[in-house]
Amino acid sequence: MYRHKWFTSGITLLIAVMILAACGAPSTGGSKDTAASTSTGSKVLTIASATDIESFDPHNNNNTASEAVLVNVFDYLLKNDSQQKKVPGLATTWEKVNDTTWRFHLREGVTFHNGDPFTAEDVKYTIERVAKDNTLKQNSYFKNIKEVKVVDEHTADIITDGPDPLLLNRLSKMGAGIVPSKYIEKNGIEAFLKNPIGTGPYKFSQWMKDDRVVLVKNDKYYEGQPKWDQVVFRSIPEASTRVSELLAGSIDIASGIPSTDIERIQGEEGKKIVKAPIQRVLQLILRQSQGSVTADSKVREAIDLAIDKKGIVDSIAGGAGIVTRTSVTPGNFGADPSLYEKTLYDPTKAKELLKQAGYTGEGPALTLSVSSIYKEYAEVVAAMLNKEGFNIKLDVLEPSAFSERYSSKSFKEMFMIGIGNSLFDASNNYNRYLLEEAKGETDYNNPKVEKLLQHALTNLDTASREKEYQQVQQILAEDRPAVYLFQMEGIYGTSNGVDFQPRSDEMFYAEDIAPAK
Amino acid sequence: MKTYIAKSLLQVIPVLLIVSLIVFILVRVTGDPVALMLPETATAEDRAVLTQALGLDQPLYAQYIKFIGSALQGDFGTSFRYGESALPLVLERLPASFELAVAAMIFAIIIAVPLGVISAVKRNTFTDLIISSLSVVGKAMPNFWMGIMLILLFSVMLGMLPVSGRGGMEHLILPAFTLGVGLSAQMTRLIRSSMLDILNQDYIRTARSKGILEIVVIGKHAFRNGLIPVVTIMSLQFTSLIGGTLITETVFAWPGLGQLLVVAVNTHDMAIVQAAVFVIAFIVVISNILTDVVYRLFDPRIKYS
Repeated sequence: MYRHKWFTSGITLLIAVMILAACGAPSTGGSKDTAASTSTGSKVLTIASATDIESFDPHNNNNTASEAVLVNVFDYLLKNDSQQKKVPGLATTWEKVNDTTWRFHLREGVTFHNGDPFTAEDVKYTIERVAKDNTLKQNSYFKNIKEVKVVDEHTADIITDGPDPLLLNRLSKMGAGIVPSKYIEKNGIEAFLKNPIGTGPYKFSQWMKDDRVVLVKNDKYYEGQPKWDQVVFRSIPEASTRVSELLAGSIDIASGIPSTDIERIQGEEGKKIVKAPIQRVLQLILRQSQGSVTADSKVREAIDLAIDKKGIVDSIAGGAGIVTRTSVTPGNFGADPSLYEKTLYDPTKAKELLKQAGYTGEGPALTLSVSSIYKEYAEVVAAMLNKEGFNIKLDVLEPSAFSERYSSKSFKEMFMIGIGNSLFDASNNYNRYLLEEAKGETDYNNPKVEKLLQHALTNLDTASREKEYQQVQQILAEDRPAVYLFQMEGIYGTSNGVDFQPRSDEMFYAEDIAPAK
Repeated sequence: MKTYIAKSLLQVIPVLLIVSLIVFILVRVTGDPVALMLPETATAEDRAVLTQALGLDQPLYAQYIKFIGSALQGDFGTSFRYGESALPLVLERLPASFELAVAAMIFAIIIAVPLGVISAVKRNTFTDLIISSLSVVGKAMPNFWMGIMLILLFSVMLGMLPVSGRGGMEHLILPAFTLGVGLSAQMTRLIRSSMLDILNQDYIRTARSKGILEIVVIGKHAFRNGLIPVVTIMSLQFTSLIGGTLITETVFAWPGLGQLLVVAVNTHDMAIVQAAVFVIAFIVVISNILTDVVYRLFDPRIKYS
């Protein structure tokens, strides 16, 4: 009797699980038909990253992984090509009207995914939303925009509160993704986020959080038929699982491949590794405040000379990095090529400098703070410095604790950080050395640099502005408020079935990824 | 019985309050969410604006009172990461975690019950030794490592099962098995000792002396009573499965509560952390009460006053 009951409940449980599993299994298909070359004939591109998108709101997002997906759904007025040059997007041409006004001529005949025509009203709605709502994560990049004037259906004027040399950079990044004004005004933002609509080559189909985003092609895309029928972005946090998915053939592109897995992927038939420099430079930021040992320029120089950057790239980074003496890397406005791909390493001179600085017995003691994500790099740097006579105390912090110390500017002599540049402009790297911003962090104070940086902030003359930043870079390379280690590279594993050239901005434009012939 | 249940349910309230207080404080002293939300180049002014907009400039006690007030209405705040209400985000992950937990439990039962009974019946034999050793290995093996090994074998080398993600039944097998093995190791040992205990009881000897078939003695008399402690541990394990599948969910990119919580902790998404811990605490408390109830149904000797 009892046995019978147990048997029945066991079976019930089993059926319950099967039903549950079936409910939880939307028809995204098995793993086998998501790879580029499918047996069913429909072209599906599957890309895996470590993190999921945050939302489909291009204005309330501050995450490269999100933008990488969203660029396929939402268009900008102008785009960056793979060399970071501005090319037409939803605007075909643009010109400066006066120091605070830019005029944009909009592409005609473009429709949103729901059929609404794209007009200047949408530009006004989009840009004013992100410029005025200070709770949006992209607001800080757009708050200098005063208003958008609709000139006619296909012309819009964007007016800033002062001369802004960065306006075009702002308009070609996340936060400037054009959203449909009519649709949102009618249905509300909540409804829009559940069923996002843009003008891009791919339409929203499904988002299962922390699992996948599915996009389908937009037949009415203004540049013609998209290449893929479906683009799937999967989020797989564990790197070894991403590698396994790639090796099992169920995804086409995997980002964030650990340097230790490079050989394993290259040894596999039909798979390869592709790399590209990204917008992130790993660096040590040094304090020059009175009383700090790093206030002495000889000590700072000794730090620079004692670190073998090339050695770090080759060992820990698995070769994926480019040494540099500037953080404004090629592709960014204001870059100075004479400092790129260069590095200083001279341990003998480092020792000598320390002696000159008065450290004859005990070397200078200083704290190096780092977020645990860069722990290995910091350990090697500390070891190299200790070898030349420093006395480094390593302070490894959990990422959110690091962020807090970073924003409250409470690090001691030195911290390690990877700093990106989503605006592709030197100002993004150097505003931190403005007197006001440097207070409490580096306490860097150089009147000449201050003057150059302040002027460049509002200088609309491209040529002289570029010179200003190049001058700043030369001075900083000697003053060393920061010691640059190397520009990081993105490492991707791909199947031979796709032709993928990674971009320095880490975007995945599905239209730029082709099925291999 | 009814009063017992009512009393237990009342005790839930202080437990949840304490849990909420601990989580609230821990989340707030371990880092600044504003720093994580803004780009590296944000100015002090940007930070101030956002801090105020999020209400983080208020004193801690005021934030806590506000938090409890809203929580009572099911509002745990807005997720910084998703910009959506936290509780629905947490609840929508429950089915995925629940599905994985049930499947893992089934695997564990399928493995543990026969092994446990056999090793008890054949105690101190070679078979018993093998089973005991296996369960030690099973318990000692980290979920993380085992998950990766299973993926390599069944997905990469043999191509039989999908590597990760949630989909059909085939997606469930590897993660559920990974979780189930660790669980079964513990259950096997428990069933063994529980069965041994009972096999030495007088009534078993009586049953044997009456000439009842050994298989019936074990299957009917001993097994049923031997299950009582197992039910308890199963329910406790089940709740820990719901909240504690963090590692397995991460390895298999399983979009459940565990993965949500891991990401929320890393990104300092306070609302999600609070809501998730609250929901997990709630499940644990409720299922403990249910365990007691089920226990009583199995063993009428236990009385609740």
